[in-house]
Amino acid sequence: MKNFLTATLFLIFLSAKGQDFSSTVSGKVTDTSGKSLPFASVLIEGSKLGVLTDDYGSYTLKNVPLGQHNIVVSFIGYTTLSKDLEISKNTKQITLNYTLEENVENLNEVNVNGKSKETKLETKGFAVNAIKTEEASLRNIQTNELLNTTVGVKIRQNGGLGSDVTYSLNGLSGNSVRIFIDGIPISTYGNSFNLNSIPPSMIKNIEVYKGVVPGHLADDALGGAINIVMHNDAKTNFNASISYGSFNTIQASVNGLYRFDKSGLTVKASLFHNYSDNDYKVSGRSVVTNGLGGVQTPITARRFNDAYRSTGGRAEIGYTNVSWADQFFIGVTGSDDYKEVQHGAFMTITPYKDRFLESDALLGSIKYQKKDLFTKGLDVNINGLYGKRNRAVNDTVSWAYSWTGERAIDFRGNEYQYTWRSQQEGGPTLAKIKRNVASIRTGVSYAINKNHKLSANHVYSGIDREDSDALQSVLENTFVGTRDLKKNIYSITYELTAFDEKLKTSLFGKHYQQKTTSVDPAIETDTDGNDVIVDEVVSSNKNYDGYGFAASYEIVPNITFLASAEKAIRLPDETEIFGNDGDNVVANSSIDPESSENYNLGFRFGNFSIKKHDFTISTNVFTRNIKDRIGLPIETSLNVDDELIVYVNQGSGTSKGFDAQLNYSFNNNFGLNFNISKFDLKIENQGIEIDVPNTPFFTMNGGLRYSFKNLIQKKSRLNAFYNVYFTDEFSFLTAQGSNTVGNEFFEVPQQLSQDIGLSYAFPDKRFVVSFDVKNIFDEPVYDNLSVQKPGRAFYLKLNYAINKF
Amino acid sequence: MKKTILNLKTFAAVILTASLMTACSSDDDTVVTPDTDTEEQETEEPVEEEDPRWITVAGAKMGEEPGDGNGGTLIYAVTSVDAKDPTVSIDPFENGFIAPSNRTARLQSSEDGNTIFNISYAGDTGGNYTKYTVEGGQTFTPSGSEVSIAPYVGTAPRWIKLFDGDQTGAAVYVSTENEFDDNDAYTRTEATIGVVTLDLVNSSIKEFQEHSVPLSAEEEAAGYYISRIDMPTLNAAGDKLYIGARLSKVDPATAESDSDYEILGSKTIVLDYPSLLNPTVITSTVGHGNTNGYRSINSFEYNGSVYQANQSDPEGSYILKIDADNEYDDTYDFNLDEALGIEGAYILAWRPAANGKAVVAYRHNGSAEGVAGLQGFFALVDLNAQTAVRIDDIPYDPDFYLFQYQGFVVEGTEIYLTQGAVGQNGNIYVVDTETGAVTKGAELVNTTGSHFIGVF
Repeated sequence: MKNFLTATLFLIFLSAKGQDFSSTVSGKVTDTSGKSLPFASVLIEGSKLGVLTDDYGSYTLKNVPLGQHNIVVSFIGYTTLSKDLEISKNTKQITLNYTLEENVENLNEVNVNGKSKETKLETKGFAVNAIKTEEASLRNIQTNELLNTTVGVKIRQNGGLGSDVTYSLNGLSGNSVRIFIDGIPISTYGNSFNLNSIPPSMIKNIEVYKGVVPGHLADDALGGAINIVMHNDAKTNFNASISYGSFNTIQASVNGLYRFDKSGLTVKASLFHNYSDNDYKVSGRSVVTNGLGGVQTPITARRFNDAYRSTGGRAEIGYTNVSWADQFFIGVTGSDDYKEVQHGAFMTITPYKDRFLESDALLGSIKYQKKDLFTKGLDVNINGLYGKRNRAVNDTVSWAYSWTGERAIDFRGNEYQYTWRSQQEGGPTLAKIKRNVASIRTGVSYAINKNHKLSANHVYSGIDREDSDALQSVLENTFVGTRDLKKNIYSITYELTAFDEKLKTSLFGKHYQQKTTSVDPAIETDTDGNDVIVDEVVSSNKNYDGYGFAASYEIVPNITFLASAEKAIRLPDETEIFGNDGDNVVANSSIDPESSENYNLGFRFGNFSIKKHDFTISTNVFTRNIKDRIGLPIETSLNVDDELIVYVNQGSGTSKGFDAQLNYSFNNNFGLNFNISKFDLKIENQGIEIDVPNTPFFTMNGGLRYSFKNLIQKKSRLNAFYNVYFTDEFSFLTAQGSNTVGNEFFEVPQQLSQDIGLSYAFPDKRFVVSFDVKNIFDEPVYDNLSVQKPGRAFYLKLNYAINKF
Repeated sequence: MKKTILNLKTFAAVILTASLMTACSSDDDTVVTPDTDTEEQETEEPVEEEDPRWITVAGAKMGEEPGDGNGGTLIYAVTSVDAKDPTVSIDPFENGFIAPSNRTARLQSSEDGNTIFNISYAGDTGGNYTKYTVEGGQTFTPSGSEVSIAPYVGTAPRWIKLFDGDQTGAAVYVSTENEFDDNDAYTRTEATIGVVTLDLVNSSIKEFQEHSVPLSAEEEAAGYYISRIDMPTLNAAGDKLYIGARLSKVDPATAESDSDYEILGSKTIVLDYPSLLNPTVITSTVGHGNTNGYRSINSFEYNGSVYQANQSDPEGSYILKIDADNEYDDTYDFNLDEALGIEGAYILAWRPAANGKAVVAYRHNGSAEGVAGLQGFFALVDLNAQTAVRIDDIPYDPDFYLFQYQGFVVEGTEIYLTQGAVGQNGNIYVVDTETGAVTKGAELVNTTGSHFIGVF
């Protein structure tokens, strides 16, 4: 209002001063929300006449000659807009206002006013965090580490680079959290192309949806979804980086895109390579050597069978920004990894030697994206993947090894072999799992007008699995069953935007269909009395529905109220339906999915700008009410010798808690962020409620950033970072009485880890050098009982990028 | 000082109980009451001279489901005087010591009750042996050095203390592998057992041996093999170790595991002791179930023979007898179904006193379906007379289950046990095996979903 007044007065003032022989064109440039855009360029096409808008977004072009003109207004981060006008002798004063739309493609370069894409996403009503990877990709930060600092997200990793990771969103973890790459379930890509291996430089941003997942990412995500959005620019660019650091860790990546501007033909490729010995030091109650008679001596050991390597890449060819497609690519993704396994779920006194896992995947992909197809407002998005992936477990060494990395001795002093003839109890294995995987997601949306939008989405994912083990006999391999699982998930979404975009709502319904088939070869006697091998086929086809909504309302500018809810479902997985021969678990095809009613309620304050101070605060309170949890029944005298254990739906659960986050920056060169997340996770069985043990329920993360400009060299920039991660202690065991002793045995101690980093951008902005020290105080950190994570580590990274050719 | 106060209180309580009991006593238990009375008075006068035995109560806290016992094993020690005193209240879940074991600990105690032995089950310290000096209440002081049997029998070891004066513990492991001929046809399943003995006094490994334990050619051709072993027991001469076994079967045509097959006669592996060499397998013609028990000791030496319970027997559990010649005595035919007049008896835990009379924890087809499985009962059993009587002086709630039951304490002819349904308070009971008299002892305070797994 104030701006408007000023502008009007300004115009009146200007018009008073108008000259006789030429015309004056003036006006105001605003964005779609009505906010003025200062320093936008206003140019008369074909002439040298042009100005920038002032602090209030106003401009005045004086002495505009007679004739037909095209006035072009452009501003970084917004679409360019041109308007025609004719200056005749009678026109002296023309007012021409421009409203520019935010240009989503170029947003990474915007840091003035206007809502960033992340902000837009975070004010749609969902409990969502959008994580930018831009800064992290220049530092020695892995994708998983980046996710772990996100409010409400907890990552638990069983060791160093490449080790097993579980993701938890507001207390729900494991199968309850679905992870996607561009909307395709990450499981399709296999173990070699996951968040351990994909470098942040391949990723544009990461969206974390907690509890309520929008229709365009529909899946059976009970507790939420994490969507990795890969880069989808259509601008020629190239970047490469290499990082080296402690534990002989090398991480390299190369990304390039070339677009032939005339034809729109675009080729892009990404490559990555990671390697680490993970030979960090460990100690503790299980890191001992055994001497004569089994006498134990505690030692500090280096992990010796924990190396990790992953290599992979993706190449795509297609067209971008052509009349028939914004993006059309066909591509191939290949990856391969190798991971040594030092121990099982726990660190024990019998470390493994030469047990390793290998996986590889080769997948073809297709991608099509077009806005305003056929008619304005009709957007189409297709993403598909098809291929093979393989997984192998290798464990054939029968000799026992000590934490020294040498052969262990038995109580007599002799080297010895385990009775089970392998490192992990259970016997030697060369198990191989081959999978044919396919997944395709199709989304169509139609914006009827500015206020109404309808969209439909479908995702199919299918896995055909085949197991074999070279150490098993032909007979045993013959009678191993196959398991096929095919999921179709449909969603329909209606989005309503009203009251000058103050109210944004999204209403969605989802339909889940899962078809599972198990084929188990068995012997039957045919009519002639001969034994023949026949396939016993068990299949089940289940259909379920879910629904939800998200809404946001901007009560006053910059204060937004957000609410979302969903009745979510997790379909039983193949083991839960078909059981597992090895564990004597048999099929229960009547098992129901787990379901949960999820609610989020939040506020977002900001962005507030007071002089040079900018800050945003957002909070969310949530509840998750889970029903029909899937689990195994307890062992009783009735089933202890049984081959007939089945997974069953048992009991319910709740998770309640809150997240809060604060971002503050001063003058664009000092930044502070802090987040806190706390929840209570309870499960109920037969009317008895307990706190779920082994759950990190309270976490905080903080970060500071300071930029020094023109240090050493002009136009250079040095960023200094400090990060702190806190996880409160939690117990591996259920809550005990108030006066018990011996509790400390089961405690996962409080974790407080601090990192510092420096990154220096050279004046030409092409070179960035980063140096990071992680866990500077060498604190022992554990995500899981007794499994120690790496201590202090140093990394150096060189980045090279060209964005213009 | 503290102890004196406790004893004075105890003394008063004992006198009170004793007089109460005398007052209400019927004709049968006249023998018992004065006995305890005088005995207690004797121990009370010279306080320092002979302390009563420690009775360590163990409770298994609920993990995720009522009765699963996965939330920690808590122990708390009281004197036998307190244990017999119904006015004493014991709350191990509130005040106990949590035995360091990821899953339910398998506890053993020294014969005098002054030491608790534990081998951690599963998790990072699975297989670690620890011993504690019992000092009353929640105080269990670790003694001896750390040693682990995990390298020999894995991190989830099945172990038992042998009855050799608290000298030795023994743990076992079995791994199996199917074998095939050149034409890829199934021939047999190789079962390799590992047996380790542990010096409980010096906390060190004594002996370890590994053996193949074949069954008869006929049994093997049909696909039978030893799939689980447990419960090592010394014979009377102390020169043989008996190991209980469970049999499983594969379908030779497919090499996949079979179900609904004929149950063979109960088997036991016999080894030389202490060398752990020369394994043989003996078979009963009387019993047809497994002999590997579950978590509590399943076979005991009495009067020169070893008496062994079996489980999952189609005819209901038997107590089998292995004689001094290390063979099953197939003339000894003691079936619990017959003795109790029930069907589907299943011995969950048991313990004889030196007089050949035993307390047996069992369930049967008529057991109620409780919150964590079938309802359990106690019976008083006479190994010589081959009789069994359900002990009706102990209350049986439908949620009273004994599958995870581990410990009895034998003091003379008396046997101590714990009673308490899942999530409900219970009591220590003392059964006089001679008279059958049952004394209700200290109250056991429970917590939601949890249960008591015995006394040590």
